[in-house]
Amino acid sequence: MTDRVLVVIPAYNEALNIERVVGEVIENYPMYDYVIINDGSTDNTAKICRKHGWKIIDLPMNLGLAGAFQTGLKYAHRKGYGYAIQFDGDGQHRPEFILPMKEKMDQGYDIVIGSRFVTEKKPRSLRMLGSRLLSGAIWFTTGVKVNDPTSGMRMFSRKMIKEFADGLNYGPEPDTISYLIRHGARVGEIPVIMDERILGESYLNPLNAAKYMGKMLFSILLVQSFRIRDRR
Amino acid sequence: MTFLLRCVLICVSLVLTVYVLGRIRHSKMRIEDSIFWVMFSMLLVVFSVFPKVADFISSLVGTYSTANFIFTLMIFILLTKVFFQSIKISQLERRVTELIQMLALDKEEAIEKEEHKL
Repeated sequence: MTDRVLVVIPAYNEALNIERVVGEVIENYPMYDYVIINDGSTDNTAKICRKHGWKIIDLPMNLGLAGAFQTGLKYAHRKGYGYAIQFDGDGQHRPEFILPMKEKMDQGYDIVIGSRFVTEKKPRSLRMLGSRLLSGAIWFTTGVKVNDPTSGMRMFSRKMIKEFADGLNYGPEPDTISYLIRHGARVGEIPVIMDERILGESYLNPLNAAKYMGKMLFSILLVQSFRIRDRR
Repeated sequence: MTFLLRCVLICVSLVLTVYVLGRIRHSKMRIEDSIFWVMFSMLLVVFSVFPKVADFISSLVGTYSTANFIFTLMIFILLTKVFFQSIKISQLERRVTELIQMLALDKEEAIEKEEHKL
C-alpha cells in the first residue's frame, strides 16, 4: 500500500459533475485508488455514486471542506496509503497531472502543489491579487516561494497524511501549508492546467473571497507563528 | 439611586437567583456550569441589597464612580465568560466532527468486511 496513491474527492452537492469527474478517474486511471467523501449532500450525489458502485464514505452531516478532506486522509491513514491527493469533485482538476505530482514527491517532498503559475504568469485580476498577497505572506513568514497557494490540487506524503488525519486546525488551506513549511515540511510545485468549473455554482463570490483572504492572511501572518506543533 | 430603582434591582437579582437555583434543582444544567451563574446572581443580590459594598470596593480600586466600577466589573466577568465558552464550543465542534468522521469511516469499514465475506 505504501506506494499507492489515494485520490480523495470531497463532494458536496456535486450531482451535476460527479459522474463525469469520478468516471474519468476510474476509467482512465485504474492504477489509483480513490474515495469519494460525500459531505452530507442534500442532492442525490450519494445515490449516483451508489448506483455505479463507487467507493464512497457518507458523512451523516455536513462538515465543510476541511472536515470532509480530513475524513479522506483518515481513511488513507487507516489503510496505510503512501500518497493522498486532494481532488475536487467539480471538474477543475485533471487526473493526468497526478502522476507527475507523484514523481515530484518522490524527489523528497512532503507536499506537492499542482500550481497554475509555475511557468505561466499570473493574470492581473483582483483574484490574482489575492493569490499574490498570500504568496507574499507565505514567503515573508517562511522564506519559501509558493506560486499558487490557493490551488486545491495538493498531494500529501505519508508523514503529512498522519499529521492531517490526527490534527486540529489542519484545513486544506494556505495557512496550513505555511505552518507546515515553518515546521520543516518540504513543499514542491509542478505546473498544471486547471479547467473552469463545469456545472453548478461556486461559493466563491467576491464577498466570500474577501473574507477568505482576510482570514488566511491573518492566520498566516499572525496566528500560525505562535502555534505549538503537537507531536503524537 | 431612587427607592423604586433599588426595589427593582433587588427584585430582579432575587428572581434571577431563584430561577438559576430552580434550574439546578431540576437538573437542567450541570452543576459545574451552574456555579458561575449562582455566584454571579448572588453578587448581583449583594450589590443591590448592600450598595455600600460596591461603593467601598469602588473607592478601594479608585474608580471615578461606583457605576463605572460596576460596569467595568460586569463587562470583565462577561467577557471572560464568553471567551471560555468560545473555547468550549471549539472543543465541542471538534468532538462532533471526530464523531461524524469516525461514524462514516467505521460504517465504510463494516461494509468492506461484509463484502470480503461474500
